[in-house]
Amino acid sequence: MTFTHLHVSTAFSAHYGVSWPDELAQVAAADGATALACTDRDGLYGTIKHLKACMAAGIDPIVGVDLAVFDDDGDHRTQLAGRVVVLARGHNNGAGYRALCRLVSDAHARTSGKAGGTVPVAVTRAELASRTLDPTTLKPVLTVLIGPDSDVGRAMGGRRYLRPRTLFKAWLEAMPAGTLVAEVVSQLTAPGAPRSTAHAVRMLKLAEEHHVPAVLTNAVRYCAEDGAATADVLDSARTLKSLPELAAEPLLQPNGQAWLKSADHMLQLGREIIHAAGYGTADLKQLMAQTEALADFCRIDPVSDMGWKQPVVPEASVIGISQDPHVELVQRCEAGISRRYPGVSGQARLVMRSRLEHELGIIRTLGFSSYFLTVAEVSRMILDMGVRAAARGSGASSLVNYLIDISQVDPLQHDLIFERFLSQDRATLPDIDIDVESAERHNVYRKIFDRFGAERVTLMSMQNGYRARGAVRDAGMALGMDDDDVGEIAKQLWRFSARKFREALAEKPELREFAGRVEQRGFAENQQLDLLVDLTERLDRLPRHISMHPCGVILGDANLLDRTPVQPSGLGLPMSQFDKHDMDPMGMLKLDVLGVRMQSAMAFAVREIIRIHPSKEEVVAAGSHTSGPDGAGPHYIAGNGHIDLNAVPLDDEATFDLIRSTHTLGCFQIESPGQRELIGKMAPRDFNDLIIDISLFRPGPMKSDMVRPFLEHRHGFAPEVYPHPDLKPVLQETHGVTVFHEQILKTFHVMTGCGLARADEFRRALGNEVLELKVEEYFRREARLKGYSPDVVDKVWGTLKAFGSFGFCKAHGAAFAVPTYQSAWLKAHHPEAFLAGLWEHDPGMYPKRLLVAEARRLGIPILPLDINRSQAEYRVERVADGPDTGKLGIRLSLNGIYGLSGAELKRIVAGQPYDSLADLRARSRLTKPSIKRLAQLGAFDSLHREAGGGANRADLVQHLQKLQATGNTRKAADVMEGQLSLPLGDVELRNVKPGLPAPTLVENVRAELDLMALDVSGHLMDSHRPMLDRLGVITADKLLGLRNGTEVLVAGVRIATQTPPMRGGRRVVFISIDDGTGCIDSVFFHEAQEQAGLLLFGTRLLLIRGTTRRTGPRGISLSASMAWDLSRVETLPFPESRVEITDVPHPLDGISRSLAITGMGG
Amino acid sequence: MGMFSESVDVTCSASGQPLKLHWAGRLYTVCAEPVRWYERRDWWAEERRAPLGSGPGLVDHEIWRVQVLPGHQDSAEPLTLDLTRHIGSGRWRLLRIHDALQPRTA
Repeated sequence: MTFTHLHVSTAFSAHYGVSWPDELAQVAAADGATALACTDRDGLYGTIKHLKACMAAGIDPIVGVDLAVFDDDGDHRTQLAGRVVVLARGHNNGAGYRALCRLVSDAHARTSGKAGGTVPVAVTRAELASRTLDPTTLKPVLTVLIGPDSDVGRAMGGRRYLRPRTLFKAWLEAMPAGTLVAEVVSQLTAPGAPRSTAHAVRMLKLAEEHHVPAVLTNAVRYCAEDGAATADVLDSARTLKSLPELAAEPLLQPNGQAWLKSADHMLQLGREIIHAAGYGTADLKQLMAQTEALADFCRIDPVSDMGWKQPVVPEASVIGISQDPHVELVQRCEAGISRRYPGVSGQARLVMRSRLEHELGIIRTLGFSSYFLTVAEVSRMILDMGVRAAARGSGASSLVNYLIDISQVDPLQHDLIFERFLSQDRATLPDIDIDVESAERHNVYRKIFDRFGAERVTLMSMQNGYRARGAVRDAGMALGMDDDDVGEIAKQLWRFSARKFREALAEKPELREFAGRVEQRGFAENQQLDLLVDLTERLDRLPRHISMHPCGVILGDANLLDRTPVQPSGLGLPMSQFDKHDMDPMGMLKLDVLGVRMQSAMAFAVREIIRIHPSKEEVVAAGSHTSGPDGAGPHYIAGNGHIDLNAVPLDDEATFDLIRSTHTLGCFQIESPGQRELIGKMAPRDFNDLIIDISLFRPGPMKSDMVRPFLEHRHGFAPEVYPHPDLKPVLQETHGVTVFHEQILKTFHVMTGCGLARADEFRRALGNEVLELKVEEYFRREARLKGYSPDVVDKVWGTLKAFGSFGFCKAHGAAFAVPTYQSAWLKAHHPEAFLAGLWEHDPGMYPKRLLVAEARRLGIPILPLDINRSQAEYRVERVADGPDTGKLGIRLSLNGIYGLSGAELKRIVAGQPYDSLADLRARSRLTKPSIKRLAQLGAFDSLHREAGGGANRADLVQHLQKLQATGNTRKAADVMEGQLSLPLGDVELRNVKPGLPAPTLVENVRAELDLMALDVSGHLMDSHRPMLDRLGVITADKLLGLRNGTEVLVAGVRIATQTPPMRGGRRVVFISIDDGTGCIDSVFFHEAQEQAGLLLFGTRLLLIRGTTRRTGPRGISLSASMAWDLSRVETLPFPESRVEITDVPHPLDGISRSLAITGMGG
Repeated sequence: MGMFSESVDVTCSASGQPLKLHWAGRLYTVCAEPVRWYERRDWWAEERRAPLGSGPGLVDHEIWRVQVLPGHQDSAEPLTLDLTRHIGSGRWRLLRIHDALQPRTA
């Protein structure tokens, strides 16, 4: 006999289910089941994975949901009356699945989409009833299971006879005939407890009384008994209570029997229940048969019921096309040719024409013309909004995309292969990703909803799973450990999977102290820490919640919401319950509209350039652009000074000079320590070099040591080697090293003649244990047939096998290289505007203060906060007085000051300028603490100077402090609307009593760090200088002059910590520090990590000893041997034998707020 | 009701139900149909480890409530005992002795 489980939560029931759909389907199939249900709580989060898992296990999927129901008698919007399971009936052309989707969306429709919303996810009984029948045929398409968690089941306790009956009858009256069954569950709890056999018996009898079929389930939460402990921890995480607290209430599952029991176990359970009910064998047979009969009703055909793998795109009419979409696409491509290739002729024309025909042929065969038109429509819509947009990803491989303006990269020029993007052999919708300005992303989303209609669009979601830090926090909470204790441990967990916690304890130096505690403490604490490790490992990767995917938008036809349930996102727009892995199986068109801060920063810079230089001549002069032979200036600068970045030629020498200097902080993709080292070694000369650089800087190539041979060949230190002359054209651009997917495709094709489409299929198979063997067999056979020697075949296969699975798609590299180049171009020609854009949009990997330091390094004046000059944004400003007169500087923004509210900010800016503090108080209505903070930051210094008082900033702050403390500020004289206050100057400021010493630089910098997380007046390391001199510390700007292998001490504030995967699997830690003269990148190998221990991840200010490693003509880094915490002066290695410890005041002293000023944290 | 944790020898039927038990040197016979359930343990307080793959028996244990009569003493009052079977060793322990006959709740 077989048994079908109809009530099963997978791990995608966040904070409830324990097991993955794969495990469940495999265990069920191994036990002989022919079907399995997935009934996640509150949604269809695991449904598509379940479908996939069932198909792989060769069983039929059943889909449903476990939903809360509002209490009809209580407050209809907040009070719940238990939960029910709802199953979709199958083999009805999707009528059941449609109803299920809509029902789930109903349950979420009233929620806010924000954490802590008060409206629960639930349906009313009326909604449930109305969805159970198909609206056209009026046949039942959903079945509702009334089980132990329903209001009926919950009323079974005690010896109440009437209450469950009344409630059950209410269900019978509310629901259409044939849609209700009773769910009988015994989890063998203590007699009389919920989920006991006694309760199961009562439910069974109730069903019998009312002639409602009863089915047996086990309300499964985990695959096997072992999952019960994990379920306990999840209960704790869900309810935010510790296990001891939950056990006392008692709110934990009563025991650990909610596992996917075998058919034999379930039959035995059924027998026990029937026996306890005093029924006979026939009744047992009936219970089991009814369960299987319901299962049969609910078997889902993935194809006919759920549209498995059938691509759906918006109707042509929606994008304004009345003719055949393919004809339309061909016409648009033709129109694009004259724009993209004006005057193309001869051989170039032939190549372009045949490529276009080739692409259009494949697109027509696959029926994807509407898809391309849809994406083009979105792309055009974004550009029409005046928002910067750039296609990224393999979409850049397509000439069609280039011609219809989806992509800005010419695939012919960069030799990109269409088959890497789309081919006859791949019937899934390809990915086209569009990068837009991050600040405009939400507007773009809203516009897409407007344009296509809310019924055709939804945001994609993503699953957020437990990672090590979150897991250890929740495990600690479950065990009732002290929050701070757990927080301390969590801080040390650095990018490893929670599943390897115990392994990491043994290996990682920063966990050594914790590992020691696990071993040495007394039994009680020790036991707790041991359990903490085990529970953390149990939580690893389990889904915690879904959230809006950072870029995915799903576009469909008018029936999209019949195919995916939606719920409100934090943004207010509806979000699908499906994630990126569900798109392909469900044939959903997903467009990645990614907000890229760099695009916002660049758009900001371009606007600042126009504002400061409002004509072409001025921009040309300011940016040292060539004015050309006719003196008209470059074509990409418009008359009003607007720069069309996309039109800037890709061969600007000044830009490549900047890149080669490695001073690339702030530049897209090439600012990280590792990238700065790589460009220092590689010294890119042209745009193709940039593409190669970006493609090389990937985990795969770095890990497998592709970079070294590439550089050796490039610089001519070693001769280029090709496995066979036939491959020279394929590998020449990368000096014989295979870097790009495109090269892998061509290699397959050259050596086997397989065609590029199949070559891409082969590439995808690389790295897959089973498929790779077949590919190898084919490759060896065909290459031998084509006459390649066994040696060559061996060698080439080795390369393909090694690089195939992680090489980089050149089209990606090319698409990435465009903003890289554009940002470097802006930095080379308009550094002030560019840095202002970076400060405003903070796009990079570093804390903002490092980019402020970069301005200081470039000699760009950083203009202090000024109540009359600072705006709500960073602004480029021409310096009016002082030593920097005439230079362009950057004025600090009023935005981002601790404690200053958005409303205050708006009022300040609206009221500018102010002639006195009284004027400011009267019109901006700032709070006293805000005024004091502005004074601390020097925002009134210029006003103060104009008032002519003799006091300094410290006196003013003290004056304001006193007013704040006594609370008796004389209320600003009420100025009548329209009445001008007399320009008397500021009497208050003039009369502030002098007396205090002026604040020191350290004090000013401390205030700036504390209130803005920026060090403006000076670099925060400046105050350490005397001590560093005594230590013999060398600065970053001097490093380049040192010999390779010199031992040095360096010191600075941490700006980045990275642990990239490395060849050989041994962890290497890169720590970068900034000392005010530049960045120093240091690498800690195994031994140095042992030496540094806790300092590796936990310290803001570091002293590092290491030896210099020259990495290229302009590159030098440090191989570290030891590190110290600079704030622990007594531990530092002073050269003198007598160590005089003087307390050096430092800007970071006493700041306990966690500030985004150092490169620590996730 | 007294709480115990004492070893007992139990003889079971083919389907795993207790039939007879040997306790403190005397033989008892199960005289009514036993009741079985699974009861939660405070494993986070009692266990030192809970690694993945611990298998069954961490979160709950199997309890059998049996009514027994001492062998050959027909006149004696039946005793109600709660027994538990250790999952790993299969050994039985006596958990509780109930003072009087408990009403069947099922």
